[in-house]
Amino acid sequence: MDEETEIEIYNYSEFVGSEEFMTFRTHLPVGSSAPDCEAKLLETGQPVKLSEYWKKSDVLIEFGSFT
Amino acid sequence: MAREFASKGVNFIFVYTREAHPGENYPAHRSFEQKLDHARAFKGEFKVERPLLVDDLTGTAHKLYGSLPNMTYLISRGGKVLFRADWTDPPTIEYTINYVLDSRARRREGLRLAPFYAEFAGYRWNDPAKFQEGLARAGQQAVDDFSRAMEKRLKQPLRPGRIELSE
Repeated sequence: MDEETEIEIYNYSEFVGSEEFMTFRTHLPVGSSAPDCEAKLLETGQPVKLSEYWKKSDVLIEFGSFT
Repeated sequence: MAREFASKGVNFIFVYTREAHPGENYPAHRSFEQKLDHARAFKGEFKVERPLLVDDLTGTAHKLYGSLPNMTYLISRGGKVLFRADWTDPPTIEYTINYVLDSRARRREGLRLAPFYAEFAGYRWNDPAKFQEGLARAGQQAVDDFSRAMEKRLKQPLRPGRIELSE
């Protein structure tokens, strides 16, 4: 799949209510190692690894969007 | 809550994902700049003080953690999942973090503690008026799409795995 298609599928333009609530239950169970990746800090635009937070302390990660 | 727990060694971060309910005002992201703009608007509207991390345009972080629109994870120092919920509910988060901190304190006091695994059915406060307000902010399309999705859902059996309070 090319990146443009992947972007359009992930960022759906119409909400249809097909979220994977049941899949979530077995996706990353308690006790798993938290997967690491990079994201950009909004304030500075700098890339930061999620693991930089859990190296320093416990961390509560909330996911979401404006809408 | 983030400020209170920061002094107890638990930091809070927010990961900005795709738009759950895209509409005319906040449509689906097609560029990273646009995603940053939406994240800025979100931060301004809700006065988010926590570090706000913007996931990439293909949702790499979001997919790694299960792709749900409003989920929460508590990760231990060292990187183990201690708690996860398919919806962000502040009272549940507060309860859980206090539970973890209390358990550690009891162990420090010399109490012998063995780990075990638990799950529970959660119940969160639901405010439909506030939710509709959010949809309207996104645009009329978000309102219409949601109402269509709910009509469809009403014709189907209850979502599997849903546990009613009366059960």
